[in-house]
Amino acid sequence: MGPRGHSVVARRVAGRVALAAAPFVALLLAAALALCGAGCGRRASAKRAVVFWQFSPLPAIQSVLDRFRHEHPDIEVQVEQLTWQSGREKIVAAIAAGLPPDLCEIGSTFLPGLVADSTLIDLTDSIPDLRPALRGWRVVEYRGRAYAVPWMLGTRALYFNADLMRRAGLSPQKPPTTWAAFKTAVARIDAIDSGTKGFGMNSGEREVLFKKFMPFAWGAGGDILDSTLTHSVVASPQNIEALRFYLSLKPHSLLDRQEMLDEAFTRGRLGFTISGPWMLRKLPVSAPDLHFEVALMPRPAEGKGEPASFSGAEVLGIFRGSKEQAAALTLARFLVREENAMPLYVATGNAFPAAVAAESDTYFVAHPKDKVFVEQLEYAVAPPVHPRWVEIEEILNGELEWAIYGKKSPEAALRSADARIEAMLNPRP
Amino acid sequence: MRSRSFLGLLPWSLCFAVFGLVPLLAALLLSFYFMNPLRPDLTHWVGAANYARALGSPAFWHALRTTAIFVVGTLPVTLLLAYIVAALLGRLRRGEAFFRAAIFFPATLSMVVIALIFKSLYAEQGLLNGWLEALGSPPVHWLQDPRLALPSIMAMDVWASVGYYAILILAGRKTLPVEQLEAARLEGMRTLEIERRIILPHVKPVLLFVVLLNTVRSFQIFIEVFVLTRGGPLDSTLTLVYHLYERAFYHFEMGYACAIAYLLLLLVGAILLVQRRLVARAPGEIPRASAVTQAPVEAPAL
Repeated sequence: MGPRGHSVVARRVAGRVALAAAPFVALLLAAALALCGAGCGRRASAKRAVVFWQFSPLPAIQSVLDRFRHEHPDIEVQVEQLTWQSGREKIVAAIAAGLPPDLCEIGSTFLPGLVADSTLIDLTDSIPDLRPALRGWRVVEYRGRAYAVPWMLGTRALYFNADLMRRAGLSPQKPPTTWAAFKTAVARIDAIDSGTKGFGMNSGEREVLFKKFMPFAWGAGGDILDSTLTHSVVASPQNIEALRFYLSLKPHSLLDRQEMLDEAFTRGRLGFTISGPWMLRKLPVSAPDLHFEVALMPRPAEGKGEPASFSGAEVLGIFRGSKEQAAALTLARFLVREENAMPLYVATGNAFPAAVAAESDTYFVAHPKDKVFVEQLEYAVAPPVHPRWVEIEEILNGELEWAIYGKKSPEAALRSADARIEAMLNPRP
Repeated sequence: MRSRSFLGLLPWSLCFAVFGLVPLLAALLLSFYFMNPLRPDLTHWVGAANYARALGSPAFWHALRTTAIFVVGTLPVTLLLAYIVAALLGRLRRGEAFFRAAIFFPATLSMVVIALIFKSLYAEQGLLNGWLEALGSPPVHWLQDPRLALPSIMAMDVWASVGYYAILILAGRKTLPVEQLEAARLEGMRTLEIERRIILPHVKPVLLFVVLLNTVRSFQIFIEVFVLTRGGPLDSTLTLVYHLYERAFYHFEMGYACAIAYLLLLLVGAILLVQRRLVARAPGEIPRASAVTQAPVEAPAL
């Protein structure tokens, strides 16, 4: 092959290379144009874009965001729905990549870790006016500083099957208000027949155990950490008394995961179960013939303790890496207003607005079962916002699981948890 | 020609580099660091401390033990069942295509879907307890009982993987020339003898491939645990990958989680090497793995 031949081959090869590379070049050009388009568009409209990650279904929040756009035409909201299964991982990955959303819905149990790692901006001085208008500040505060805005508050109350109450010779109009009455009712319903159980006790899902046990402990005056958040009080006599009582329900209980307990209650097999307001939406659809009621949690005895429950919250946080912090705060302020949070509760039924004004919403007059949850919120207790909450929770859940499975006595389990938490908080030199 | 081949490989190579090689190397590097994804500014070199911590951690050894039980419990059962199913499928005269598709069907499902199906099967009011109740037996707490949770997951895993491996073994069996089998029958060999002396040695490379594949897959068990038990009850299903997931995404100890991942990689690599050597040494091995697709010419001496 002569030089001319070489040049022909070279041209052919070059042509093929160009042909093969064409799609990649086209892709690059398209990406560049898209980026330019986005940038140019942003400059042209001068709109601020707030990236908002949240857990509610998009149709539920869309109307609220439409109103926000109408009120704030200069702010564009790019909303994205997270899932409860993978939302946490997605948030962590986004923070690690340095690309967090501007505003994010955060669960109260995830918040302490974010606060401890200084991931969220301190909002204390930016929102003093919101303090009297919202409840749930304990959930978002660490050492007196607020790192998020309470948005929706969740709690659990006592569901009971009215038909089973009647069959057990009990009046559904008089649900048990004390531990003793509760235990009697549970035992009597369990005795109806082999197909029914008195109570649904969580097992097989360690991560929820403290949420189900601590209401009894809080009701008896117990707690997890002392008021300074520096020492464990897990092995207090109140906690031990509460765990003894809780485990005394076990012989009459169905032990299973929450979703299975909910299903058993739906099928009319459970006398009592502790669950959240989401069941109020599900039960009439999945079990239209089920006659159920909702009551406050029982207190230790008449005139003693409180009908306490677990308090969870969905809060709105702004990450340090946010590029639109001011616009994100504007959106947060808008979302927590009663008239904007209430439609979300009506649509999803998961958690109640943190807005104090929501308590007097007419919706609760027409929905007395929902109203019970609003009352329960008054006695709801949130876990402490502590930098090492994830570990504290893990220890507590682990030891409770040993006690529920009968591998440790209530005293041994709580003392072990107490010692482990104390050793973690105050390690010996 | 070479440049064209290179161009053809380029897209895959790029994808592998970006999504495979770079994360692999990044994880190796990260395993020598303290790294909290929420506080990247605190990232610092800790040398082999993460590895030392893992090797001294009771939780790590417990998770390793659980994983080992899972692997040892599922591997032989899966292999045996897959072999039997493949043998039965190979003998079918009618409807083989239908049964082949039916057996392979679980392999087309996502493990999440399979786990959710089994979650309802194992429920207190599920199908399994319904059958037990019909037989007069009390309900069994498949996933709540610490003694039964892991075996229940193992049973699900065997069900999910038998079909896929059976089809692989069946493909290996199909490469055996009919003449060879006919000659064996003419020699008066019985079915079991043919299976043991002719077919089994022939499909050995496929079996080795199945063993290797299943070993790797079993050591990586995660989705089943994540969906069904989350490591519980009483840590009875806490596997190594679930343990590292918890360390990474609940405790934000990315460096430590990467160290666990690399210890797992080393362990699986060592086991695969041993498995290869053991199988290679075993008597009766004739073809190499590549021969799965080639029909052997000579029949073994009968």
